[in-house]
Amino acid sequence: MKSVGQREPNVIPGFGITLGFTTFFLCAIVLIPLAALVLKAGGMEWERFIGVITSDRAVASYRLSFGASLVAAGVNMVFGFAIAWTLVRYDFPGRKIIDAIIDMPFALPTAVSGIALTTVFAGNGWIGQYLEPMGIKVAYTWIGITVALTLIGMPFVVRTVQPAIQEVQRDLEDAAETLGAGRFYVFRRIIVPTVLPALLTGFTLAFARAVGEYGSVIFIAGNMPMKTEITPLLIVIRLEEFDYAGAAALGVVMLSISFVMLLAINLLQVWGRKRMMVSR
Amino acid sequence: MSIALDQVTKRYQEQPVVNDVSIEVGEGEFFVLLGPSGSGKSTLLRAIAGLTGIDHGRISLHGRDVTHVRARDRGVGLVFQNYALFRHMTVADNIEFALRVRRMKRADRVARRKELLKLVALEGLDERLPGQLSGGQQQRVAVARALAHKPQVLLLDEPFGALDAKIREELRRTIRAVQRELGITTVLVTHDQEEAFALADTIGVMNHGRLLEVGNPNDLYTQPATRFVATFLGAANLLLARQSAEGIHFGATPVNAEGPEKMQAGREHEVVAVLRPEEVELATSREQLSANYIARGAVEEIVFTGALERLRVRLLDEPSAAQLLGAGVAGEARVEVTRTQPERRDLPLRPGAQVALGARRLHILPTPISSFLACAPTEAEAAELAREPLLESLSTRMKTRVGVRAIDGLVGTPEPFAGVAAISGGENAANTVEWLLRHGSGEVLVLPRNAPSPTRVVIHWTDEAVRRATLAVSASLLRHVSAEAVYLGIVPEGGSGGRAAPMRKLLDARSEAQQRHGLEMRTELAIGETVTELTRNLSAGATQMLVLGITDITQAGTAYRSLLAAQPGWPVLIVYRPPEAGARATPEAAA
Repeated sequence: MKSVGQREPNVIPGFGITLGFTTFFLCAIVLIPLAALVLKAGGMEWERFIGVITSDRAVASYRLSFGASLVAAGVNMVFGFAIAWTLVRYDFPGRKIIDAIIDMPFALPTAVSGIALTTVFAGNGWIGQYLEPMGIKVAYTWIGITVALTLIGMPFVVRTVQPAIQEVQRDLEDAAETLGAGRFYVFRRIIVPTVLPALLTGFTLAFARAVGEYGSVIFIAGNMPMKTEITPLLIVIRLEEFDYAGAAALGVVMLSISFVMLLAINLLQVWGRKRMMVSR
Repeated sequence: MSIALDQVTKRYQEQPVVNDVSIEVGEGEFFVLLGPSGSGKSTLLRAIAGLTGIDHGRISLHGRDVTHVRARDRGVGLVFQNYALFRHMTVADNIEFALRVRRMKRADRVARRKELLKLVALEGLDERLPGQLSGGQQQRVAVARALAHKPQVLLLDEPFGALDAKIREELRRTIRAVQRELGITTVLVTHDQEEAFALADTIGVMNHGRLLEVGNPNDLYTQPATRFVATFLGAANLLLARQSAEGIHFGATPVNAEGPEKMQAGREHEVVAVLRPEEVELATSREQLSANYIARGAVEEIVFTGALERLRVRLLDEPSAAQLLGAGVAGEARVEVTRTQPERRDLPLRPGAQVALGARRLHILPTPISSFLACAPTEAEAAELAREPLLESLSTRMKTRVGVRAIDGLVGTPEPFAGVAAISGGENAANTVEWLLRHGSGEVLVLPRNAPSPTRVVIHWTDEAVRRATLAVSASLLRHVSAEAVYLGIVPEGGSGGRAAPMRKLLDARSEAQQRHGLEMRTELAIGETVTELTRNLSAGATQMLVLGITDITQAGTAYRSLLAAQPGWPVLIVYRPPEAGARATPEAAA
């Protein structure tokens, strides 16, 4: 490996220094805290560990956390693509402003977003008062949780897909059209395959962000055990009960599920990129 | 006709990028659209493919009007400069794309693909991805893909632009061979004249959105009709000469030249002669020349390019010498010369050597606008006029020069005027125009201060006798200005004879403009008094210009005085032909 690093001179000097720094940073900030978490959970007896992580309340919270995150990331994938497409392909008054608004969820404290969403979607809120009579309850249900997770994940998809759409040359669409393809065919066979890797990256980021989200969800969720309680909240509850080991056990479960899912998506991407052969 | 374009116009933000273009391409013909970047050639190609809508005109393919047919239903194959291959698909999938869209059976698809890959000499590369192929191979794939659905027309947009010279040559040969084998009607867009010569059955040269000339490569090279084609197709020295009853002269030296046999309107006037670098003969003295003597010169620069030797020869000032167009200061004029190795061996030259130049073959351009002459009361004012933006842009685009002349007081008998006289607009303009016309000028351009380049040129003549000359001048002008041309016919109010006669005149004018001068113009009919209607029409749009043909010198000073004095006014180009000469021209024009 060392020879690889020394083969070509680079802008940032010293393969040794940079690799060392990378490793140190990863260890100090990411790996050691995670290891501590696992160790803490490892301090429990096996039966108790299994008991904690398979309790009905915990399982219900996993289902909600990962389910809502997947739905939110999926929604973001569709609408984030639409927003990115509009921003790249069309020029209209206010485009720059909309482009700037996209990043707002990045900057806002998540608790603020949560409170704002709750105000709007509560039974007497601006939008909630119209939805309620139709029998759609948003605030204090899993729908509200999904809405909150969609909000905070949206910029990830838009920002990763935007450059990819910019790279889809108009010529490709023109070529497909002269060859007889209709619009939908061009979209399905040309545009989607070209943008897909970026779309998956955006999906992954939005999903990862949603799984770890806490601040905005607790305001809109209502936090009823078994129904609208997300795993991060359950962990906080365990901490407040001074059940550190129990909290760590739940943390380990989240960590494992997230790791497996992210790895799967990453492998999918590597496979996709190989097919694309972007390098020339 | 395989492809027929009829008066196709495409505008972007009011500016015509394709301006009234009509082309007919025959079955199996290889047609090359040649022009500099920004000439509208690619836009025209996209319009044929159906990827760009047009604002005016009609497009038919094999007799079917496809003006409003979508690209995917036109049955064309298009090849792009950057290949535009689908990078996530294999070569096989790329080529079969059009077949899959058409739901062709797998076995048939495979057979067709094998056939196409063989045609472009890429057998066995079916499963590669475009990223794994070289540029030349990718473009071959693109050609095969464009041919898969057996289109009736193959369109190529600068297909060799991104390739290096050797591969370019090879691919050029492949495309020519494929085209011959399939007999498919092909249109190729390029800015490279060498490529155009190598491939084309017919070349169409475009500039500023207009189609200037169409012809086979040899005719266009040896007998161009326009300055632009003369200089764009290969190198050309443009020389100013005078044409009189005795023939063509450079200063006092008569020369033999090919071109329009007849003088226009029987008056002595200035013409533009094309001298190709390879048609220049060099000798140590005038007596040793076997060709027409044109001037003496000093060798300035010699560049060795292998088969040919390129020289730049500065013309030495002498009264009998030829004048070079666009050269500016006298004595600074340089002629480009190329010599073959045998010529070089016969007369080895070094920089600084003095030589006599001869012209083996001169071609006279049938263009009525040879050069401009800015005229004003004083030399300084004339020089200032010569820097007017419109005059400057016209002379640059026409690759011609602007001379200056002081015409103080409009008295005496001046030296003959050469080229188009330019004067500034205003109160006194009418008098000056009249004086210039009396003293031999055929065309006078009246320029308001800081007039912008026109987007619409109104054409009108007072007498049918001057129709041909006016159209010739208009056509020459409009080849260098991206504006639309409108002929305004004016019928007096309550005139007898009804509408039929004026309408026929309008149509005659249009067809003559198109056939004889290659000028596509629209026609409009107005009823009322001439000057009023002209003024109304000119005031209607943004930046307009008037080309006015007259046969009566006094008209300039009387009837059109208000038009020329208008503030801020419009550029007006007056074309004058004396009535008797016009009368002679009429039967000829009718023939």
